[in-house]
Amino acid sequence: MLIGEVVGRLWASRQADGLAGRKLLLVRPLGGAPPAAQSGLVVAVDGLGAGPGERVIVAHGSRVRDITVGEAVADKDIVVAIVDDLHLDPAAERPAPVRTRRA
Amino acid sequence: MILGRVIGELWATRKDERLERAKLLVVRPHGWYEARWQTRHLVAVDDVDAGVGDDVVVCLGQPARWSRGGENLPVDAAVMAVVDRVELDADAATPAHAGPGIGRPWDAPASWTRARAR
Repeated sequence: MLIGEVVGRLWASRQADGLAGRKLLLVRPLGGAPPAAQSGLVVAVDGLGAGPGERVIVAHGSRVRDITVGEAVADKDIVVAIVDDLHLDPAAERPAPVRTRRA
Repeated sequence: MILGRVIGELWATRKDERLERAKLLVVRPHGWYEARWQTRHLVAVDDVDAGVGDDVVVCLGQPARWSRGGENLPVDAAVMAVVDRVELDADAATPAHAGPGIGRPWDAPASWTRARAR
């Protein structure tokens, strides 16, 4: 899954049956640097009621789709959670402490 | 499966009911994960009690759904193990010695790499 911010909604009057009645969100993945910030948008199906500005978790895959929004939906990116709180620890990104081992 | 470092936790109340008891971690893969979105994180469910700062093995894709026994979770990534120790062969981990397709930049922590005994 990935974390992304909902940046908008999308409507289409001519669409495949598999998208009929589905709420489509435009999601920008967290940390997607330009040019990904423009091109790297995910169109995800939302069944939870997420709105613009909220951060969501998007899961990918046909089996995930089957068990959440249904097999008939023509999208494999599904919103499975709306993030309340996110805590990232910058210290965790440092390299592991050096443990020297003689060969 | 891939290797990554747990860099954070997140909480969500509005979510799929099958994720009710799931612990969600933010993982920074060592190396490359998803080129499509040029993002360098992923969210994984955790059943092995990993914590922030731990190196973990993450299963990607459909098998991750079964990470908690017989439950069918709507997820595509799951933490399968907490890594105690990693050793990389310094020569083999160098792109010049890597095979086709695995020569992409490798950003494993330097402490993992040790020189080959001569």
